[in-house]
Amino acid sequence: MASSICLRCLRRSLQSIESSHRAAFSTSASFSAAAPPKKQGAPGGTGARPPAAGERKALRKRIVLSNTNALQVEGLEDFTGDKLVRHEPGTVTLDKFRGQVLGLDDETVDALRALESFKSTQAWSLFRRPATLIRAETAQLANQLANAEGDGKEVSRMVIYGSPGSSRGSGKSVMLLQAHAMAFLKDWLVVHFPEAQDLTNAHTAYQPVTTPTGTIYIQTHYTAKLLANIARANQKLLSGLQLSQQHRLPIPVQANISLSRFVELGAQDPDLAWPIWQALWLELTTPSQSESKDGLQRPPVLVTMDGVDQAMRSSAYLDSETNPIHAHDLALPRHFMNLLSGQTKLPNGGMVLAATCDSNRAAASTMDHCLARISAIQNNAQPPHWDPFVAKDAKVEAALKDVQALKLPGLSKTEARGVMEYYARSGMFRHTVTEGMVSEKWTLAGSGIIGELERATIRARF
Amino acid sequence: MESTILRAGFRRAITSSYSPAKRRVLIHHHPRRSYATPAEPIRAAAPINFTSDTNQFARSSGGNNNSNSEQDYERLLHRVRIVPASPSYFTATPRYTDDFLYLSSLYRKYQLLPRLAPGTEPRVAWKTLLEYRTESGEPVRQKGYAIMLSLLKRLNKIHTALLPVEVQRALQRYKRRIQPYLNRAKPIEIDQLGRARAVGRRKSSSAVVYIVEGDGECLINGRTLTEYFGRLHDRESAVWALKATQRLDKYNVWSVVKGGGTTGQAEAITLGVAKALLAHEPDLKASLRRAGVITRDIRRVERKKAGKLKARKMPAWVKR
Repeated sequence: MASSICLRCLRRSLQSIESSHRAAFSTSASFSAAAPPKKQGAPGGTGARPPAAGERKALRKRIVLSNTNALQVEGLEDFTGDKLVRHEPGTVTLDKFRGQVLGLDDETVDALRALESFKSTQAWSLFRRPATLIRAETAQLANQLANAEGDGKEVSRMVIYGSPGSSRGSGKSVMLLQAHAMAFLKDWLVVHFPEAQDLTNAHTAYQPVTTPTGTIYIQTHYTAKLLANIARANQKLLSGLQLSQQHRLPIPVQANISLSRFVELGAQDPDLAWPIWQALWLELTTPSQSESKDGLQRPPVLVTMDGVDQAMRSSAYLDSETNPIHAHDLALPRHFMNLLSGQTKLPNGGMVLAATCDSNRAAASTMDHCLARISAIQNNAQPPHWDPFVAKDAKVEAALKDVQALKLPGLSKTEARGVMEYYARSGMFRHTVTEGMVSEKWTLAGSGIIGELERATIRARF
Repeated sequence: MESTILRAGFRRAITSSYSPAKRRVLIHHHPRRSYATPAEPIRAAAPINFTSDTNQFARSSGGNNNSNSEQDYERLLHRVRIVPASPSYFTATPRYTDDFLYLSSLYRKYQLLPRLAPGTEPRVAWKTLLEYRTESGEPVRQKGYAIMLSLLKRLNKIHTALLPVEVQRALQRYKRRIQPYLNRAKPIEIDQLGRARAVGRRKSSSAVVYIVEGDGECLINGRTLTEYFGRLHDRESAVWALKATQRLDKYNVWSVVKGGGTTGQAEAITLGVAKALLAHEPDLKASLRRAGVITRDIRRVERKKAGKLKARKMPAWVKR
């Protein structure tokens, strides 16, 4: 039976529904990219025309978070704030949900969407609504988030990684997403760099700025886009906060403007973006006045970067002498690296997370070595030695001097069973989840690499 | 001039003095001219069948040459010419004929002996036709040799406990020097660390597989299954022996694989895993055979031929 609407038209109409607002600037075609303007075809011409510029990429990068054909999972609990409170010393309530899948509520999903936490390669589009597996590392992360809110305001700075070549699909980006969700539920401010590659591959404009410590390069358009993301994701939180200091800005700004409005100002105008970014961080790193309730209150901040290996080497940008610029000489990556290394303090608590990316891995040997070293020291093993005939990247080494490393292994069989049961209850995996089936898929997924598990169970068609 | 006339005169005088009968004899005794190389190839005569009779080549003592008795006729024959030992001397393939007749006679002689149950007779690699031809030096025909082989096979079926010595000797003559069916594979043993080591091959890949009791982890050349095989199909192939017998969560696999491509390597591991698994659980042989992981696939890439683009592909047809 022929449908009355062709597939391409259907896609296009869906796109226009999905994207009501277009980002001010985007290097990657964002999830919210509006449908490209239609070309005026020849009158009466019904022949196939090539898709407009950017149309295919927008389609490729589209984030679909729902599948109406999937079954509604009965009794799926939500990921809520009360699961993140201290249960016993050293653990949070979330610990009891290990190996279970928890759904994300609409508000969180909106924030995560605005942060670009979802990736098109993840299988969100196969289920009725977004839900994530609580694995041992998630519970551990929740515990560290709880520590950051305690009296010590202990700030964890951590790199999530896997051994190069084998950690693809092991859930590093989803760990960041879970951190975002938890931070959002705890009313933290979340700043997320979705792809470090976008900052370093010379696809966005840059300009030099002279500082007392040397020349750095700011990326105004990217900053504006980042501010837009921050404003949208943290709308509720930022609208409750006000500007507290006098900043030197190119435009006059109302003294008690809400931070939400302030950030939006920067998002609208790339020329203002950098000064506003700096002012915003001054505001966020001002210590709260804990004595009085009426005094200045600033939330903890979660700062994350995905694909951090791209920012751990020379960027594709060139300076005026056409020498490659080190990624850490770009203002935004440098800002993140200062937070990661602990050079910039977060007095109100928070967390800095970075995740490497294995499907588009940059050759960052210094970072690999540093992470292997940190990991060995954490496990009381003999740390590896650096090859003395290879130059070490001093900037990268300094950035990773004092961070934690979390190497994501595969799922345990209990966790694998939990997620497979969720697949089955969603109607995407049409087999009985037995012990044998779980261990079979666990082996085929290379000892429980979750991306491969998903591929072997719900994506594979035989 | 005079001397020639004289010489001719003497010759005539001498010849006329001989009697005509004697002259004929003289002519007969003159040796005929012959070439240095014989026109026909020289063949050795068959060995002479000496008898115990010391006077075998002598004339019969009775002097009665006209005797009709058969014995005397035989004796006469042996005296007047050399008789070949084998009656099949004058056939094209005397040795073959002799062998065949001997085997037939053996078969007739022992055909009533009890036989082994079908399928239980010892497997024997018989000499090939080429080997037999070389050995006998005769142009033995294929069909003839096939008939002889069927005789040999029938003799081989005689019950081993009752097999006569002469049959044993006769069969031994036709067996190949190397009997591949006597080779026994060295049984795979589990070492003290609980590992079973086996080798699997497919196409041009070969895999050494170690299997140890565990919980389903798999390492190939030091890398995980997902890391080594991007294709889900190859991953499944590699552990197919375990999957088909529902042992995937009971063993760990550790493998070193070399040569060939992805598919070949995966299937080489399959065979290795199956062999090593048999060392742990020999009873699985039937189900592993059903899973198709016992038999080595001997196919290799077909060689390229001259005038072709690949093994079989012909160049495109071009008009002139």
